[in-house]
Amino acid sequence: MSDFKVARTLDARGLSCPMPLLRTKKEIEKINSGEILEVLGTDPGSKNDIPGWCSRAGHEYLGDKDDSGFIHFWIKKK
Amino acid sequence: MSEESIFVSKAKGMYKTLCQTEWNATVAGLLVGLFSVLIMAWWRPWGAVGAIRNWGDWILYGIAHLTGAEWGIFGEFYDEAPRGILMNSSSVIGVGFLAGAFLSACLGNDFALRMPPKLELCKAVVAGILMGIGATFAGGCNVGGMYSAIGDLAANGFAMWLGLIIGVILGLKYIYWEMEHITWGSGGAKTLEFPYALKILFGVLTLIAIIWGANKYAEADSDYVASLSGILVISAALGYTMQRGRWCMVQGFREPHMTGNGKMAKSVALSIAVVAVGAAVLKYNVPVRADGEAVLAPMNYVRGTFGWGGVVGGLIFGFGAMLAGGCGTGTLWRVGEGQLKLWLVVPFFGISNSILTNYFRDWELESSGKLGKYVYMPDVLGYTGTLVLILAMMALWYLIVVWNEESGKLIVDM
Repeated sequence: MSDFKVARTLDARGLSCPMPLLRTKKEIEKINSGEILEVLGTDPGSKNDIPGWCSRAGHEYLGDKDDSGFIHFWIKKK
Repeated sequence: MSEESIFVSKAKGMYKTLCQTEWNATVAGLLVGLFSVLIMAWWRPWGAVGAIRNWGDWILYGIAHLTGAEWGIFGEFYDEAPRGILMNSSSVIGVGFLAGAFLSACLGNDFALRMPPKLELCKAVVAGILMGIGATFAGGCNVGGMYSAIGDLAANGFAMWLGLIIGVILGLKYIYWEMEHITWGSGGAKTLEFPYALKILFGVLTLIAIIWGANKYAEADSDYVASLSGILVISAALGYTMQRGRWCMVQGFREPHMTGNGKMAKSVALSIAVVAVGAAVLKYNVPVRADGEAVLAPMNYVRGTFGWGGVVGGLIFGFGAMLAGGCGTGTLWRVGEGQLKLWLVVPFFGISNSILTNYFRDWELESSGKLGKYVYMPDVLGYTGTLVLILAMMALWYLIVVWNEESGKLIVDM
């Protein structure tokens, strides 16, 4: 799952609700349609917030993966 | 598959449902409403700021006691020890709530010590101070001043509700501005993880401590202390439910304006409706009871803040909660989850609330009606009218939120 060709990575580690989602919302403006944004986070709430926001905003949520002490999230911009 | 292994796999599935997966917002909202009614029926409505203020009283008393300071506030308000953390019903609610949230975070593998970046720590201090000030004006935090207040048929809950909406929108605008203009302090984040087996052990020990504590309270001679047993257990259930459902009231107020998502707002509206119906049952002067008295004193949790106090308090509190990333309760369950930013919010929240509450009491601001009026809605509208009004307001909130989910009209642009 981690083999995505990532266009940009956002480091939101240490941030808590609502900052990871707000930063993701802002960061995705910087990539082109069809490209992939990777988000690194530590807030357990993001596992629900990010996919929820993707489905509302129309981006494709590609999944998440636990790493040592943080989580990777991948989003494909619509 | 053998019958035993089917049983084992079902048992694992049950553990996953009860302790690991995030609970659906509607279920969490209903459970929070149910436990809120139960705690009222047991003894009293619940709130978060009473606990946080008691802890703030202890910090300030500790400072006065250790340094021998007698000047200013220390001599005036903190020369005598406050009621013990485990002997004050408000504080026991906070302790039970934290224990329940910690239990849930441990069993669900959500617990880790999370050190935020430096800027977030600075925001935590400011947030705590603002929340303490806002909760003093409004006569409670988002629970005691809004959720339990509307639930307790007190008009001041609506004043704070209005203020919270305005405060949260202003807070959101500030955060947008901050993301554009402040680049300082983004480093320094660290996370300290623990093995899952150790967390489960912590969880089991916490559960044993809650049960043991409740039994110890129940054995006490004093009625006050014995009653703390149920308070401890029910508030632990509230903490557990809120962490498991990541049930956050400030998120309910914020999300419609941030992403348009109305899930949490709808859940909060539903939950308030449940509490209001429960409170009406408990506060109604039941004529068939021998003495014709209500189970719960009708004026319980009615505060003299229906007026500018509730609105301004809600506004300041809402703005602070946006900086903190959690309201009164959202802050406490995130403390139980190991988020160190919120660990810093709590003492500053407690200290500012403790000091200001003492001054407000000294100046008799609330009792003399300077913050607003004491309005027990059934005195004005009757029980039917009050319930119709509360249910209609919650239905209206629900409709606005779902309309906004579709139209996005209330979203504040970045």
